Amino acid sequence: MLGGSSKSGGRGPSSSPLPHTVIQTSRPLRPSRYVPVSAATFFLVGSTTLFFCFTCPWLSERFSVAVPIYNGVIFLFVLANFYMATFMDPGIFPRAEEDEDKEDDFRAPLYKTVEIRGIQVRMKWCSTCRFYRPPRCSHCSVCDNCVEDFDHHCPWVNNCIGRRNYRYFFLFLLSLTAHILAVFGFGLLFILYHRQNIDRLHAIVTLAVMCVAGLFFIPVAGLTGFHIVLVARGRTTNEQVTGKFRGGVNPFTNGCWKNVSHVLCSSQAPRYLGRKKCVRNVCVQPPFLRPQLTEIQLAAKILDNGIQGDLHRSRSSLEMMESQSCDSEPPPPPKPELRYPGITRGNTEECSLLNKAPPTPTMYKYRPTYSPGKNHTALTHAYANQLSRGESLGNAKDSSSSTSSLLQASQQPGFCSQPSLDRDDASDRTPGGRERSEGSREAGGGGGIPGYSLGGHSYPSFSDPTVLSGVTSGTSSSTHTSAGAVHISEATTSASFKSLANQTPPPHHTSRNGSLSYDNLLAGTSYSSPFLSSQQRDAELHSQSPHHHHHLTNPHHRFLHRSASSTPPPHPPTPEREHLLALPPPHHHHHHHHHHHSHHHHHHSSSSSSTSRPPRFSTPHLPTRHGYPYRTRSTDAPLGSTSTTHPAHSPHPPPLGKSLSYSSAAAAEMQYRLVRKASASAGANLSQMKPLSQTNGGQPFFSPSFCSAPSSPSHLLSVSTQPGLAYTGAALQQSPTHKPQGNEVKKVTGLGGTTYEISV
Amino acid sequence: MAETHSLQDLQQPAVSSKVFIQRDYSSGTICKFQTKFPSELESRIGKQPFEETIQTLNNLYAEAEKLGGKSYLEGCLACLTAYTIFLCMETHYEKVLKKIARYIKDQNEKVYAPRGLLLTDPIERGLRVVEITIFEDRSIGSGR
Repeated sequence: MLGGSSKSGGRGPSSSPLPHTVIQTSRPLRPSRYVPVSAATFFLVGSTTLFFCFTCPWLSERFSVAVPIYNGVIFLFVLANFYMATFMDPGIFPRAEEDEDKEDDFRAPLYKTVEIRGIQVRMKWCSTCRFYRPPRCSHCSVCDNCVEDFDHHCPWVNNCIGRRNYRYFFLFLLSLTAHILAVFGFGLLFILYHRQNIDRLHAIVTLAVMCVAGLFFIPVAGLTGFHIVLVARGRTTNEQVTGKFRGGVNPFTNGCWKNVSHVLCSSQAPRYLGRKKCVRNVCVQPPFLRPQLTEIQLAAKILDNGIQGDLHRSRSSLEMMESQSCDSEPPPPPKPELRYPGITRGNTEECSLLNKAPPTPTMYKYRPTYSPGKNHTALTHAYANQLSRGESLGNAKDSSSSTSSLLQASQQPGFCSQPSLDRDDASDRTPGGRERSEGSREAGGGGGIPGYSLGGHSYPSFSDPTVLSGVTSGTSSSTHTSAGAVHISEATTSASFKSLANQTPPPHHTSRNGSLSYDNLLAGTSYSSPFLSSQQRDAELHSQSPHHHHHLTNPHHRFLHRSASSTPPPHPPTPEREHLLALPPPHHHHHHHHHHHSHHHHHHSSSSSSTSRPPRFSTPHLPTRHGYPYRTRSTDAPLGSTSTTHPAHSPHPPPLGKSLSYSSAAAAEMQYRLVRKASASAGANLSQMKPLSQTNGGQPFFSPSFCSAPSSPSHLLSVSTQPGLAYTGAALQQSPTHKPQGNEVKKVTGLGGTTYEISV
Repeated sequence: MAETHSLQDLQQPAVSSKVFIQRDYSSGTICKFQTKFPSELESRIGKQPFEETIQTLNNLYAEAEKLGGKSYLEGCLACLTAYTIFLCMETHYEKVLKKIARYIKDQNEKVYAPRGLLLTDPIERGLRVVEITIFEDRSIGSGR
């Protein structure tokens, strides 16, 4: 092969036989890479040469000259395909240029989903190549390139097998199998005719060649058969080996015949690297033509520039003000792209891709390059606001602003697929549905919930932990907290969120967060009492959860128990609470914020009843629930402080893959449950404030059970990529909006091991 | 006496931003770009010309990837000649790519450059995105 130094990423692939214009970084020469290919070449060429020299002359005389010709043709075919498989560019993607990825790394999700023939396929962000890998593309670590239609990296040819050279690889295997069979067969024929003088040199050599052929025949034939099956099924080795379509549908197949013809008969795909750069000699000079704006467009423009958002904002803040006694903050500044309509800020490559993504609950992960303390504050804050709903989380200003922004958020029609973690991006109100971080928390520089709209409506789970973390962080009013919290919340979507996983919010905040009530006022009253009450509830819950199997895996479960058992203490909802809870639940577009809202209401009502602290939310029942499966995960990461409050709380690995914001999520969930319980047992035994305080270590605040599953089952289904989500939806549907009379609590176990309590 | 020209007048206008048209994977991995009109272009170009461009590109790429008799014969010929035919002959896909490059150049000259936009051939990006560069409009009274 060409010098190993030139096989570096995307710019100078050494595997293409044609000259390249650019050779990039030189990688260290690794002689071990060439051992298999050298051995393969040696055996192939060497054995065949011996065969031609020692066996074929006699065969051509004895039988026909067609024998060596036939063997020669096959061998030529083998060599040609071997050469092409070895030296052809498999379909390496060039590295994306800087401007394709304007967004900061930490703000972009790790995955994006696209729908291919009705099947959701995930596209992962490649940090080396700086783009979201197209479907079927994979990054080869050996070659350090993203390869299109990546099959595998073959050591025998020392090259990746991808879209461009798969055909040659496949034909190489076929022809090699035929060649080995021919060599072995003719050699056997030779030996059979030379049994008497087997000790002649020719016979010995033939025997040796036969041995080599026989030895290689088994693996080669096996591999050939394997690839015949793959071609017929329209799969790549990568997909087969990683079990991507195990028991599922392969969206890339077109039927056996079309798959085969695609492999063998399609036109040679172009290479992306080393192309002649076309000289662009188009002169672009102002003045530029402008399109005639129609009235519709003008109207759209007005909407787009944030005015509508402002209207929403003011509306919601008014509502908030009515319902809360806290001071409210001025509406957050408009999104950057609205501020400067001429400049595209959010529309990077990924952004537009996200806009197209269907509203499924993809696993949104932030890219590994994560800079804590910066981006996620917005997320945290936004969510915190939602959770606290006007509670002063250590900063009256913050809470009020966040609440209002949250309200607004909930009213947002759509979701921006791109999370915006800008501090300034407090609100995302474009009717275009860019849901951006709402809570403009000043304290932590909360940028509001970043694109919770990651990819559409789904990623509710994302917001939940965020809110939780936001709440946590809110209390401490520090960026740092929120950052931690945000980390946690964001880690929910999928396991691959490595950087977030490692972070936990500071203990202090956690405990504060747990209460989620007017912490300022309460000054962190008795966390123990909520704990106790939650224990009571726990007992209750145990007795009450007949139908749903619980998954007693984690604190989540415990929380459920606790919250469930919070029924007995009577609770006179304070007028304040009622007031807060009486916020008319926006019946508009379901929005996960909205859901949070409702959930908050429920939770808080239940929780408030349990403690003396004024509950934050008192709505007895949720309004129409929009199916927002926001959160699926039962986060397990215990908050530092929570552990003190909840000794029983043990850190569990998030069942749903990796959500790290366990502590904040748990806290949120706990509160939620409490509120729910409170609301469920409407006039009475609402003792749930207590569990709130101990929520720190708790489970994700927004358990899917509270999602308005009934109203949008489709959402839930689509979200069911998360194991618990589907479950939750089912669970939700079983438990009707809880009635004021607190009925028993059902424990529903999500697939991920999260347990949700549902008031029936 | 030498005339003084503003340096800006002599240079190409500055790039204001870039829009990336993503691939449309709804029908599989065939090369197809989304025809959704990006909001950043609303003030620069009408929806119709844009969609027309993208649709034409999609059709061209579909033609390139078509599994027809032509591509089959080409494959057979290549096989028979031990792929040496690639040294002298251009593949079908490459021919269509050339056509696409000509089309893009034509569109740039006629439609996009007058509006301060520039299309980039997606092949330069690995057929992942169509990049549209938006140039700053510094003409007087442009209001930008």
